[in-house]
Amino acid sequence: MIQHTYGSLDTQSRPRQARRPRAAHFLMALCALGLALAPAANSQTKQASARHASAKPSELPAPQKGYGSASAPIVMEVFSDYQCPMCRNLFEQTLRPMIADYVAAGKVYLVHRDFPLAGHLYSGQAARWANAAARVGKFEAAEGALYDNQATWEANGNIEKFISEAMSAADFARVQRAMQGCEAPGPTAGATGGVMPSPKPCAIDPFIAEDIMLGLKLPVHATPTYVITYKGQRLPAGSGFVSWPILKQFFDSLLSQ
Amino acid sequence: MNKEARGKVGRILLLVGRLALAVIFLYAAYAKMKPAGTMPWSVASVRTSLAMFALGVDSYNMLPPWAVSPVAYLLPPFELFLGLWLLSGIGLRFSSLVSALLVGGFVGVMVSAYERGLTISCGCFGPGEQVGPRTLIRDGLLFLPLALGVMIGAFVTGRKPSASAASTEIPAAHSAE
Repeated sequence: MIQHTYGSLDTQSRPRQARRPRAAHFLMALCALGLALAPAANSQTKQASARHASAKPSELPAPQKGYGSASAPIVMEVFSDYQCPMCRNLFEQTLRPMIADYVAAGKVYLVHRDFPLAGHLYSGQAARWANAAARVGKFEAAEGALYDNQATWEANGNIEKFISEAMSAADFARVQRAMQGCEAPGPTAGATGGVMPSPKPCAIDPFIAEDIMLGLKLPVHATPTYVITYKGQRLPAGSGFVSWPILKQFFDSLLSQ
Repeated sequence: MNKEARGKVGRILLLVGRLALAVIFLYAAYAKMKPAGTMPWSVASVRTSLAMFALGVDSYNMLPPWAVSPVAYLLPPFELFLGLWLLSGIGLRFSSLVSALLVGGFVGVMVSAYERGLTISCGCFGPGEQVGPRTLIRDGLLFLPLALGVMIGAFVTGRKPSASAASTEIPAAHSAE
C-alpha cells in the first residue's frame, strides 16, 4: 500500500502520463477483482497472519504505516523521528485527536515517514521496531508505545520492552522475527544529506532508507515536517509543531474548496 | 554639496526607500494570500492560503490558540494595506512608523524562534522558507534598517521646512520685524 502512496504523490513523468490509460484500466480491473474476492478476504486474513508468523523477514510485506483510507481527499505525510520531542508533541497533541476524528471519518489519510536524525542515538533502532511492527500490521500500537515512552527508552535504549507491552505475545513474537539481525544502531539521515547506513544492516533498513530519501527530496530540514496533498495536489511542506484546532481549520478550508 | 542639494538627495533616497518598503509589504501580502499550487484565485482559495499561513504562525509557539487565526487572517491584508499606504505617501510619518514597528516585531519573533531552536517555516514570503541565519540577516540587516531609515527620513523631512519654503519664509519673517 505504501508503494501505491508513493506513486500517487510523486510528480509523474511524461512517459508515465502517456501510459496512464492502460494503468487506469489495470487498476480498475484490480479493484473489480478485489470486490469479487472480498468475502473470501476475511477467511484469508487468518491464514495470512499464520504465514507471517512463520515467514522470514525478507518474505514479509512492506510496512503499512498509514492510518485510515488511502482514498481520503487529504493525505498528510509526516516525516518524523521517534526520539524528537517535538515529534512526540505533534503525535500526542495533534495527530492522535486527528486520527480519532478526521482519519476515522475518512477525510484524512495519515502516512508516517521515517526520518531518524543522526544526532539521536536510538532513533534509527526505534524506526526499525516501528517498521517491523508495521510489517506485521501492528504499526499503530508500536508508534503509540514509542512516543508514549520516549523519555524512558531514550535514556536506556530499551525499546523492545515497550513494543512488547504494546501488543500480544504472539504479535510481539512476529515483530521479533521481523527484527531478526537488526542490531543497533539503525540507519539515519546523514548530517550532510543521504542515508547513513547502519554498521549492521538488516532487512528492514531499505524501508527506512526509502522514507529518508523521500524526505531529502522535499527537502526535510528538521523533524517533524509534514506535507499535505489535497486531491492529488501537493501543497508546500510545513515544519514544526502545529496544534489540532489550527490544523483542523486548514483541513476544513481545503474540504470546502 | 550645499544644503539644497543635500536636501534633494535626501528626498530622493526617502522616495526610493519608501517605494522599496512598499514593494516588500505588497509582495509579502501577495505571497501569503496567493492560492496554493494550481488552485485558481477565489475567495475560498485565498481563505485556504490564509489557513495555511495560520499553520506557520502556530508553529512559532508564541500565541495562544485563540489568537493564531485572527493574526494569520488579518496580517496579510494589513501588509497589503500598509504597502498601498506607503506607496501613496500620505501620512508618511505614521505609515513608516507602523512599518518599522511591524518589521521590528517580525525580526524579534524570528530571533526568538531561532533562539528556542525551532526549525520552522519563516512564513515571511509564503510557505517553504526556514527561519535561519539567512532570513535573520535579510530581515534584521536589510529590511529593518530600511524601515528605520524611511521612518527617520520621514520624520526629519516632515519636521524641517523644505529649502525653497525656508528661503521664502525668512524674508517674510524679516519684513515682519
